[in-house]
Amino acid sequence: MAVEAKELKGTQKGTQKGAAKGEARCPGAPTTQEIIAADKVAAPKWVRSESYKFLGDEEISTDRYIEPSFAKEELDKLWTRTWQFACREENIAQIGDYQVYDLGPYSFIITRVGPKDIRAYYNACLHRGTKLRASGSEGCASEFQCSFHGWSWNIDGTNKNVVCDWDFPHVDRKKLSLPEAKVEVLGGFVFINMDPAAPPLAEYLGPQFKAHFDAWKLEDRYVYLHVSKRLPCNWKLAIEAFLEAYHVIRTHPQVAVSNADANSQYDVYGEHVNRFISTLGVLSPHLYGKHTEQDILDQFTLGDSGALGGSSKPTVSEGGSARQVMAEMFRGMFEKATNTDLSAVSDSELLDCFSYTIFPNFFVFPGISLPMIYRFRPDPRDHRKCLYEVLFMRPVPLDGKRPEPVEPIHLRDDQSFKEAAGMDPGFGAILDQDTDNLFLQQEGLEASAKHGLTLGNYQEVRVRHFEKAVEKYLAMDAKRPDIERLPSR
Amino acid sequence: MLNLAELPPGTKKAVDVNGVAVLVCNSNDRLYAVSNICSHAHEKLECGRMSRGWIGCPVHGARFDLATGRAMNPPAKDPIATYPVRVVEDWIEVAAG
Repeated sequence: MAVEAKELKGTQKGTQKGAAKGEARCPGAPTTQEIIAADKVAAPKWVRSESYKFLGDEEISTDRYIEPSFAKEELDKLWTRTWQFACREENIAQIGDYQVYDLGPYSFIITRVGPKDIRAYYNACLHRGTKLRASGSEGCASEFQCSFHGWSWNIDGTNKNVVCDWDFPHVDRKKLSLPEAKVEVLGGFVFINMDPAAPPLAEYLGPQFKAHFDAWKLEDRYVYLHVSKRLPCNWKLAIEAFLEAYHVIRTHPQVAVSNADANSQYDVYGEHVNRFISTLGVLSPHLYGKHTEQDILDQFTLGDSGALGGSSKPTVSEGGSARQVMAEMFRGMFEKATNTDLSAVSDSELLDCFSYTIFPNFFVFPGISLPMIYRFRPDPRDHRKCLYEVLFMRPVPLDGKRPEPVEPIHLRDDQSFKEAAGMDPGFGAILDQDTDNLFLQQEGLEASAKHGLTLGNYQEVRVRHFEKAVEKYLAMDAKRPDIERLPSR
Repeated sequence: MLNLAELPPGTKKAVDVNGVAVLVCNSNDRLYAVSNICSHAHEKLECGRMSRGWIGCPVHGARFDLATGRAMNPPAKDPIATYPVRVVEDWIEVAAG
């Protein structure tokens, strides 16, 4: 006999009309914290906390998504001042290893100079400006030699050679080092910032979120799949599509059966970080009374399903819950398949969707079943397009052997995410559904007689928080990198 | 040509095959034999980084697919030559020249 899905009645406050702005929550549903508190293996402190703040309810102007001039201002003001994820540390494991990181017209050679010394050189020859390494490339360099006239630099950035230097008596080679952006490494992620006056990364992130990040120990994970694709919209629209679970019931109806969407939790931390927690293995409040616990289990979508080896889902026993069955099954099978120890990992960390963003363009999902990194970058040639990347991470095996970094898969614009080898088909379908909306949203905003977005006070607070940060940087003066103003080493 | 034991996974070795400069590579769980000379500026590839089935030129950064010889990024456009490679009783044999 089918077990009717549990409808945990919550103790929600503020569901009544007339509650203070931002205080209302999904009526008749448990909170995210109540769902997690009922788990068998208890969640850590960073999960069991809330940090919502009402940030206003005025409209968000739409010129920011459709005007080329806005995109130009972002390149001059926002991208030149903010911390950006450039590459994983393991991609430049040996001295001389490098990866080229591009943002709009800007380009950097991220290279390892010593065990703890990573640099980000502006990727241009100081002679006549040729890129020293092609965009999208990586390798190991003995030197950075320009392919045009052969001026070259040591990997520590000092000038190595000026061909026919007798013709350049006006050039002081001691001052001819490659200019650098600031670099910091956190959890195995190499971050760079073009602004010499930028605050340290820890200050930029704030102490509360930094404590979360440190608890995840992401330096002990590796990337097992990296997929990129151009999306048919402005980079900010793409980001905002992933900032809320409000869209799940209509955009991803197949997921809603197993996702507490309308009662997800939203938090903001300082100016640059926000998150949601969306519990999985729990029925959507939109669907109460329509599904069994077995339906919930059967519909459970994993970002990392490879670890389950294609096995079928078990049966939920009388009185049991899909969430508990999934937690127990996933823990055991994942440990076995990947040679890892998850005994200290809570049910919530195993199953739930934890979506954090670091402004402007970095998402980290520190859970185990949905273990993604997202990065969004503007297309330098078209403000109505952006480059999206998804990286899936796993804990490094117990034997400590870190697998070799994977080759990124670059999908064409017309390809489905499901076509990327190694991508879970269910997850690929979700990304395709999101992409289809974004194309319509970009065109709709351009066609609309309404010039502002209307946002929900709670479920869409991350969108507002993100756009507030955009507005903060856009109010500043242009700050393009200038070698005269960069500190010399 | 080479004993298999001389070429553990993740390593490469430059050899001369009938006057042809060949780079024998053990990458991505298989053996490859390609030209040791970059198609861009004719630099030797043997000191470049090899990873996940490609070899990178250490001087200007062009990368080549070890299976097909295809140039994967500028400044190279032309491919590099690839050669048949096989193992006979623990000896790696390359057909070039």
